[in-house]
Amino acid sequence: MVNLTIDGKQVTVSKTATIYEAAKEAGIHIPVLCYAKKLLPYGACRVCLVEVEQMKGRLIPSCTTPVSEGMVVTTTSDEINKVRKTVLEFLLVNHVVDCPVCDKGGECDLQDLTYEFEVVTNRFEGEKFDLPTDEVNPLIERNMNRCVLCGKCVRVCDEIVGYGSYSFINRGFETKIATAYDRGLNCEFCGQCLSMCPVGALLPRPFKFKARPWQLKEVDSVCGYCGNGCTVTLGVLNKKVETIRFNDKIGVNDGNLCIRGRFGYSYVNHEDRLTMPLVRKDGELVETDWDEALQVVADGLSKAQKGLGVGIISGARLTNEELFVLKKVARTLGTENLDHSGGECYKSVTEGLKETLGVAASTATFPQIEKADVVLAIRSDFYETHPVVGMVVNQAIRRNGAKLLVIADKRGKLDKLPGARTLLSKPGLELDVLNAMAKVLIDEGLAQTEGIEGLAELKTALTDFDPAQVAERSGVDFELLQTAARQLAGAKNVAILMAYGLPYQGFNKELATAAANLALLAGIPGRAGSGLYLCGEKANSQGAIDLGILPQGNGLGAQLMLSAAAEGKLDALYVVAEDPLSSYPDRDKVAKSLEKVPFLVVQDLFLSPTAQQADVVLPAASFAEKDGTFTNAERRIQRVRQGIPTPGKARTDGAIFAAVAGKLGNSLSFTGPAAIFAEIGKEVPAYAEFDFNEIGPQGVVWGGETLQPVSHKVVNAGAGKTVEADFKLVTGSALYHSGTVSTRAKGPIAVLPEPYVELSREDAKGLKVVDGDLVKVNGNGVELQLKVKVGNRLPKGVLFVPYHFAEAQVNRLYKGEAVIAVKVSK
Amino acid sequence: MSEAVEATVAEQDTDLTGANRILDKYVDFPGALMPALQEIQEFYGYIPEPTVHLTAERLNVYTSQIYGVLTFYAQFHLEPRGKYIVRVCMGTACHVKGAGRIAETIKDRLGIGHAETTEDLKFTAEYVACIGACGMAPVIMVNDGTYGSLTVQKVDEVIKKYQQMD
Repeated sequence: MVNLTIDGKQVTVSKTATIYEAAKEAGIHIPVLCYAKKLLPYGACRVCLVEVEQMKGRLIPSCTTPVSEGMVVTTTSDEINKVRKTVLEFLLVNHVVDCPVCDKGGECDLQDLTYEFEVVTNRFEGEKFDLPTDEVNPLIERNMNRCVLCGKCVRVCDEIVGYGSYSFINRGFETKIATAYDRGLNCEFCGQCLSMCPVGALLPRPFKFKARPWQLKEVDSVCGYCGNGCTVTLGVLNKKVETIRFNDKIGVNDGNLCIRGRFGYSYVNHEDRLTMPLVRKDGELVETDWDEALQVVADGLSKAQKGLGVGIISGARLTNEELFVLKKVARTLGTENLDHSGGECYKSVTEGLKETLGVAASTATFPQIEKADVVLAIRSDFYETHPVVGMVVNQAIRRNGAKLLVIADKRGKLDKLPGARTLLSKPGLELDVLNAMAKVLIDEGLAQTEGIEGLAELKTALTDFDPAQVAERSGVDFELLQTAARQLAGAKNVAILMAYGLPYQGFNKELATAAANLALLAGIPGRAGSGLYLCGEKANSQGAIDLGILPQGNGLGAQLMLSAAAEGKLDALYVVAEDPLSSYPDRDKVAKSLEKVPFLVVQDLFLSPTAQQADVVLPAASFAEKDGTFTNAERRIQRVRQGIPTPGKARTDGAIFAAVAGKLGNSLSFTGPAAIFAEIGKEVPAYAEFDFNEIGPQGVVWGGETLQPVSHKVVNAGAGKTVEADFKLVTGSALYHSGTVSTRAKGPIAVLPEPYVELSREDAKGLKVVDGDLVKVNGNGVELQLKVKVGNRLPKGVLFVPYHFAEAQVNRLYKGEAVIAVKVSK
Repeated sequence: MSEAVEATVAEQDTDLTGANRILDKYVDFPGALMPALQEIQEFYGYIPEPTVHLTAERLNVYTSQIYGVLTFYAQFHLEPRGKYIVRVCMGTACHVKGAGRIAETIKDRLGIGHAETTEDLKFTAEYVACIGACGMAPVIMVNDGTYGSLTVQKVDEVIKKYQQMD
C-alpha cells in the first residue's frame, strides 16, 4: 500500500493504482474523457491533468501516472483549470456541436465537461469536421464529426473483444478513427465501442431519435438469451424497451455484452408477438379469451391424464419461480412426464457431472476464469455460444498471460492469441482427445490420485486411448496433446469450459464425464481459483436443473414423450417456451409426435412452427415483462425485473401456470416471485439460504464461489466416433444468434439474416463455389439447399451449419449426432 | 463476416507468391510489420490490398491496424505508382523561381497533380520540399535523374524524353 495526499486529504491505496484511481477511491472528482475502468491506461485526452508537488514544472496526467509514496497531488487550481479549458477549446475547434440532434445529448462527457468548465467562447478557429456518416450497417452509426479521438473504441475492440475493427488512420489534423480501408463497419456488432464512446460519435442506430437519455426509465434485469447471465439495463420509454443501457456497475459482465444482449432485445417489441390466446376451432386457430382457453386446456389435460397421460416439455428461459409453479402444475395433473430443453443436452450436467463430482453444476464462478493460468475450452473457444465468457477468456490470455487450449473440430476466434493452441480434432473425436489427455496424466505420474475413486477401472478403460494412436486417428498433433495435458497438471489455476445446448448433443454426457475425469486428475474441482464450467444455452438452463424440471419418478423425458406421442401412447403434450419443431434434433420425429398427439398446448411468445400445430396457444411474457430470478451457468441467482407490460392479453408463464392449476382445481395462492422463491427454498436446499428481496446487484451464488464436489469419482467416458466421408457436417450456434428467438430480433437478424453452410477455402475451391452460391447438402436421407459462406476456421472436409433458422430445417438432417456424413454438390 | 470479405478480396488477381515469400521471413519475428510492408512495397511497387489481408492473417495483426500504419507513413502507397516518379521541388528557391508554373505544366501535359498517377501507370507526380539543388532552381527529378534551371519548354522536352522511353 502507498500513502499519498490528494487535495490535502490523506489517501492509502494499492501500489498499482494510478493517481486518478486513488482520487476516485477518496471521492475526489477528476474529469476524464479517454479513461475507462476496464481499459488499460492511455492518456490521450489530457483532461485529467493534475499537479504533483514532486514533479513540478509540468502537469501530470493522473490516469496514467502510478501513485508513489508521499506524493502530494493537487487536482484543481487556476492553472489546471486553464489547461483543461484549453484542451476542451481545442477539441471544440473541429467537433461539430450538434447537440440538439445528437442522441448522446444529456449523457455526453464532452458536453458535460464543456458545461463544467464554462467553455463559452473559443480562442481558436478552424474547420469543422465534414466527414460522411457510416450508416452502412443497421446497428452502429459512426459519425466521426463528433469524435474526440480518445481511442476508447479502438482499445475496447482490441483489448476486450479481440476483434480489432478500428484503428487511428492518417496523421496530424487528418487523423481519424476508421476501419481497414475506411469502409463501413462490418464486424461482430457487439457494440462495446458504442458503450465506451464518451461522445455521440458511435451510437446505436435502432435507438436513434427514440428518446433523450433522461426520459428513459432504467430497469436492471438479466439478458434472456444465454447462460452467461449478463446484466442488461433496459431503457424504457412509454412502456417500450427502446435500448439497452450501458451498465458496468452491477452483475457479472462488467458492462460487456454481445450482439444478442445489446441489440437482440427487440424481439420483445416484435409485431408478431402473441397477444391473445388461440383455440383451434374447425381446424383454425382463432382468438379467444383467457377463460375459454384455460378451460379448454384444463379439460384437455385432465382428460388426457385419465387416458394415456400428459407430457410437459419446457424451455429453460422461464424464471426459477415460473419453473417451480410449472412443477406444481405437473403435480396437480399427477404426471411424472416433465422435462426441458429437449431432454438430452443438459445430461452433461445432470449425469456427466453428477456421476463424477456428485454435483450438477459448474464448480466455480466466472471471475475466476480471468485468473486462470490455463484455460481448456471444449468444442469451441466460447465466442459462439457464450460471447461474453469468450471476452473473459480473452482477458485471461491477453492481460494475465493464461494459456488457452481448445479441443474442437474448428478453429475459433481466440486461436490466434499468444499462447493459444487449438487441438484440432476430427469432428466426433474430441472425446478421445480428452481421454488421451487423462491417460497422459496417469501414465506420466502427473495425476492427482489421492481420494479418487474408480481409478483402476479408468486405467483399464484408458488402455484404448494411447495418446499417439488417438493423435493419429483424431488428427490432433501428438506433442500438442501431451503438452496440453502437462500444462493442465502443472498449472496453479485451471478453468475447463464446455458449453451445452440443443445443437451440441452428440457425446454430450460423455464429453462432460471425460472433462470431469480430467479435472479430477488435475485436482481442479473444489480448488479455489480453478473450476470446471458447464454453461447452458439458455438464460436459466442451470435453474431448470436446480429446480428439477426433469423426468419425475418413472416419468418420461422429452425424447421419450415425443416417441410415445408419435406411437399414439400419449394423449397430451404441453410445450412451454420451446419450439421443438424448429430446434430439436430430428424434426421429422417431432413433426410426427405433434401430429399424432391428440391434444397439444403451446405456450410461447410467437406463433412458432410448433405453436401452429397446437390445439391451444397461450401467449406468454418475455424476460423484459416479468419479475423473478434466473440462475446462470456459474450458479449465480440474479434478479430479473419487469420493464414493460406484456403485449395485449399475454401473461407471464408463472401466471398462466397458476391459472391452469386453478382450472384443474388446485388454486395456488402465490403472492408473487418473492413468496415463490421462499417456497423453492423448501424443496431446493441450495436456494434456502437466500431471501429474494436481498439478492443484491451481484446476485447470489449458491454453493459458494467454489463448489465442493460431493464425490471424486472417475468414470469411463467411452469413445467418440467420427464418420468416414468427404464432407462431415457439424451444427452449432453462430455468434450472432441464440436459440430460435433471436431470429425474431431485428439486430441479430439484420447482421445474419439467413441460414448458411460454412466451409473452408479449400473446399470452396474444390466445389468451385464462392460466398453466396447455393449448394445441396445431402445427408441422413435429407437434402437441404443452403447458401455458401467461405471461412478460414474450418479444416478441409468439415462443414458447419448454424441451427437457429427454422426455415432451413437443419434439424431434419441433424438427429442429435456429433457429426453427420454428407454429400455436397452445386 | 470480415473473413468472408477477406476471402473475396484475396481471390482478386494479385499474385501473392511474392508477398508470401516475403512474409515467410517475418512470421516468427514479433514487431516486423514495417520491414515486411516495406519489402512488399518494393516488390509490387505499392501495397496491393490483398497483400494487406494476407499480412494481417500471417503476421496476426488486425487489418485495421495495418491500414493505420500504411496511412500514417508517407512512404507507403496504396495505389499503383508510375514507372517514372516526377518529383517537383517546391522549396523556397524553386518557389521563387517559378516551381508553380513547372507543376502546372506537368499537370497540363500529363494530367496529374500531386500524388497522382497517369492511367497508363507511366508517371506519378509528387510535389516535394527542397531536394537540395537550389542552385539549379527550379528543379525536378525523374526517378534518379535531376533536371535544373527549367523553363516550360525544357519541361516539355524532359516529359517527351520519358514518354518515348518504355
